[in-house]
Amino acid sequence: MQSKMKESDPILEVENLFASTDNLPILKGVSLTIYPGEIHAIMGRNGCGKSTLSKIIAGHPSYNITNGDIKFLGENINSLEPEERAQLGIFLGFQYPIEIPGVSNLEFLRVSTNARRKFLNKEELDTFDFEELVKEKLEIVKMDHAFLSRSVNQGFSGGEKKRNEILQMALLEPKIAILDETDSGLDIDALRIVASGIKKISNAQTGIILITHYQRLLDEIKPNYVHVMSDGQIIKTGESDLALELEEKGYEWTDNFIKKA
Amino acid sequence: MVNKNLVKDVVKEPYKYGFVTDIETEKIAKGLSEDIIRLISQKKEEPKFLLDFRLKAFKKWQKMKEPDWAGLGYKKIDYQDIIYYSAPKQKEKISSLDEVDPKLLETFDKLGIPLTEQKKLTNVAVDAVFDSVSIATTFREELAEYGVIFCSISEAVKNHADLIEKYLGTVVPASDNYFAALNSAVFSDGSFVYIPKGVTCPMDLSSYFRINSGDSGQFERTLIIAEESSSVSYLEGCTAPMFDTNTLHAAVVELIALDDASIKYSTVQNWYAGDEEGIGGIFNFVTKRGKCLGKRSKISWSQVETGSAITWKYPSCLLLGEESVGEFYSVALTNNLQQADTGTKMIHIGPKTKSTIVSKGISAGNSKNSYRGLVKMGTKATGSRNYSQCDSMLIGDQASANTFPYIKSQQPNSEIEHEASTCRISEDQLFYLQSRGIEFEEAVSMMVSGFCRDVFNQLPMEFAAEADKLLALKLEGSVG
Amino acid sequence: MKIIEKIKTNKSADNLTEIQKICLDKLQSSPLPNTRSEQWRLSNKSKFSNFLKYSVNEKNPKFDTPFPNNSQSTIRLVIGDNCQINLMEENYSIKQLSEEKLVKYIKEQISCFDQNENWSDLLNLSLNCTKNTLGLKINGSKIPPIEIFSHASSNSLNAKTLIIFLEKNCDIDLLQVNLGKENSSLSQSTFFYLEENSSVNHGVVSYGENKSNLLNSLNVIQQNNSEYNLGSLHFKFNYARFEIRVKQSEGNAKTNIKGMQITKKDEQISTFTKIDFNGPNGFLDQINKSLADDKSHAIFEGSIIVPKIAQKTDASQLSRNLLLSNHAQIDTKPQLEIIADDVKCKHGATISQLNEEELFYMRTRGITLTEASKLQLSSYFQEIISFIPISKDRWNLLDKLLNEN
Repeated sequence: MQSKMKESDPILEVENLFASTDNLPILKGVSLTIYPGEIHAIMGRNGCGKSTLSKIIAGHPSYNITNGDIKFLGENINSLEPEERAQLGIFLGFQYPIEIPGVSNLEFLRVSTNARRKFLNKEELDTFDFEELVKEKLEIVKMDHAFLSRSVNQGFSGGEKKRNEILQMALLEPKIAILDETDSGLDIDALRIVASGIKKISNAQTGIILITHYQRLLDEIKPNYVHVMSDGQIIKTGESDLALELEEKGYEWTDNFIKKA
Repeated sequence: MVNKNLVKDVVKEPYKYGFVTDIETEKIAKGLSEDIIRLISQKKEEPKFLLDFRLKAFKKWQKMKEPDWAGLGYKKIDYQDIIYYSAPKQKEKISSLDEVDPKLLETFDKLGIPLTEQKKLTNVAVDAVFDSVSIATTFREELAEYGVIFCSISEAVKNHADLIEKYLGTVVPASDNYFAALNSAVFSDGSFVYIPKGVTCPMDLSSYFRINSGDSGQFERTLIIAEESSSVSYLEGCTAPMFDTNTLHAAVVELIALDDASIKYSTVQNWYAGDEEGIGGIFNFVTKRGKCLGKRSKISWSQVETGSAITWKYPSCLLLGEESVGEFYSVALTNNLQQADTGTKMIHIGPKTKSTIVSKGISAGNSKNSYRGLVKMGTKATGSRNYSQCDSMLIGDQASANTFPYIKSQQPNSEIEHEASTCRISEDQLFYLQSRGIEFEEAVSMMVSGFCRDVFNQLPMEFAAEADKLLALKLEGSVG
Repeated sequence: MKIIEKIKTNKSADNLTEIQKICLDKLQSSPLPNTRSEQWRLSNKSKFSNFLKYSVNEKNPKFDTPFPNNSQSTIRLVIGDNCQINLMEENYSIKQLSEEKLVKYIKEQISCFDQNENWSDLLNLSLNCTKNTLGLKINGSKIPPIEIFSHASSNSLNAKTLIIFLEKNCDIDLLQVNLGKENSSLSQSTFFYLEENSSVNHGVVSYGENKSNLLNSLNVIQQNNSEYNLGSLHFKFNYARFEIRVKQSEGNAKTNIKGMQITKKDEQISTFTKIDFNGPNGFLDQINKSLADDKSHAIFEGSIIVPKIAQKTDASQLSRNLLLSNHAQIDTKPQLEIIADDVKCKHGATISQLNEEELFYMRTRGITLTEASKLQLSSYFQEIISFIPISKDRWNLLDKLLNEN
């Protein structure tokens, strides 16, 4: 399905990726191509490797790529540091955003925004200009200004943490955003805020990967493609109705595909 | 709110293992010398390498000084006033249990360790040690089918000399410390366990140590070897009669675990603790150490220490093999004038090694209970982790609880975390339980056993129940 | 023995003060600390003998400091430079302690010394002459912040002694700065006495240069309802020992300690603390942080002593350590000794690197590893630095820590 001719070049290409941690293989040949403007959903049971895939694309040091390539705008990024990938425009929304006691959220946001701006040859922002920018972006996720003065994610509720992730996405303006279970732990109102935030930030030039268990996020953001992962592989790819079918029939249904594969 | 006197009375349950077995014993003269050591070795018909091992240890011991750093106050031990070999007189060679002196069998019966074929415990093999010698080991044939060797160390010296020569003293060298050197010179008996490659020992193995005579020391030596991919759970129990003199117990335990092997070593120590005035009781100066030699090997110590006048014991793990695991779970309860100085050493040498320490100290009466531990990350222990938790519970305002952890790291890519806290049984908690109709003492023992839960969960089933009861008994009348 | 001769050859016996004589006498029986004792076991022996190698110097060099006095309202004193102060204001007074009182007090202190534990004090007091001793009696309210400097001179061993009496209901901010010089040894002993209801925010900043050595001993006695807050920072010393002894003489007092030591190159810095609760209802909140990099060695030993009399003590001690290099070493030993039953005591210790997950999180936002580490370090440092009075807005200690080598 992904072999369809596209007008532009892909943003992200994952080619036959094998990866392991502590000599334990986690990914066993994953291929995935994302073109500008596309939204992909990756679904699967816990432990199927979908979170690992997102961490590996972002460059987590605990995982080793044993085979295969990750390409961003045609360039191999296998050996890039996490920060280099972020500066290029790869954004990972964490399933469990890390709490960093003592480091102020505002300072953190400013340093990271400037790192990306520097890469884009945009002017770096001083504290005042940055405050202006943040204020504007806070609107998108309906967050209170008070969040800025707290430590990064510390003492944030689940929903606040996820909104803080989307705020970062809005500030960093990535080319591709991988959102790892951004919907988990959110009530329906928070889910709508997050979903509408994602929609506002994305455009025809950006790509999005939504990693999720549930249909409900996909009701808000309709994906172009749905991939089902199991045991480190993508075992089925379809269009958005695949998610509905999956919801209806459960993951047992997908077990059939493994046997076939 | 809580009646002070009631609390003080809680620990007054008499020591029920305090009887003496009247049996004719063969003792050698008091005192320690090269001749005595030769005599012990001769009595045991030992090969030359072992006599040399003993004599070398004795030479080292003579040059060593008795340690005083643990801050334990006790009367100096007169090492010339101890009998180093005492054995119940029996026929020369015993071929079956039927030939064991019925008085001995009766003794172990009374201790709740029946040895005879009809009565023996169904799922535990027992090696019973009386003063200096092992008198019986049950289930030997059954174990032999699996290739498991479980016998007294004296027998092992005769029948498996190669294993003894290869491993004895490799984990606890004779020069390790004063009491280990003494033990190496004069050890009388103890248990030997060998689990061959790939074997999961079909039942728990257990040794039961009984000190009977008042003037002899007990110096047993235990050696457990678990070959590749094997596993074993070993239990150890101890009691002694009540004497108004102090008896020295200086044991050495060595464990060796090879690749993927696992050894679980559990102790319930209930030596006679002395009376309320601190007269009598066992000096329990023990060196226990395990070596995780292989990859992914695991050694787990769990102990419930309730007896002895003085306990001085740090079951330790040398984590050499990559990804090897060391564990230490301990409950130490002291009452009256008991002193316990116990803890562990986790020496991380290999990479990705992990250790866990959970220590619960309960001090009542005028007793002194200390946790002393060392966690060390060596330069090669990359990716290693330790977590320690040491909690103390104080009962009454005369008891003392000390925590002395020592933490040392030379490896940045490793993590050590230590936590310690002190608490007492809160009056609110007691009141809550009492208001639900639970008797005061019952409530106290519930609280104490709740405090120890993390450790009891690690004990084999038979032991866990026993340990719970033991604590309740020891504490009767100590809370108020 | 050498050290005693050193003092004696420097002065004729007649010129020795009474205190010096007493201390020298005590030093005769233990001319060097017992290196097998817990307090001295880990102390680097060659570095320690290096400390003693310089000749005793009673003269003070010209005072210069990287810590400018940029506030009119702060009182700045430099121990040794004929330091005199006698202030009688409307709300407060800061007066020189009379020689007689000073001697009496120090003698009292010496009588409680443990030969080994207080070895640094014995050395200090036997080295010191009156000229390098500052004794202050402070009372009143709205007292301006006070800065007190002790400085070393190159190629010599200097000793400075500070005695502070804080009278009832008095409340001050006091910052002590110990300045090391290249190839120098500084012996600093401080005696702090807090009367009832008094309170102090005490800062200790010890800042060395290349091959500076320091023996810094701090003795605090707290009476009922007093509050002692200490923020300390030791860095850039080839060898430094910081000994803190706090005694809540009747309990019922509050002690807060936040200390930090940073070691690089092959430096060794150690902190020893002993908190003694000599009465009920005492409170302690202590955190000690170490950071060891390169081939350095950081040591912390803390003991909390809660005897029977100290019911309802609430004490907590935390030792947090960052080990940043394969060749560095950290030793930590928090200790609890408790005899009272109705107490709340806890301690904890950790040794680790910077948190990798936190670093990764920041890096996925484009922040470089170096920057992310700095952000983490600055939050690690900030907790301690913000507790050091007076300095925090002025000297940019954080910048010194993050950017100096």
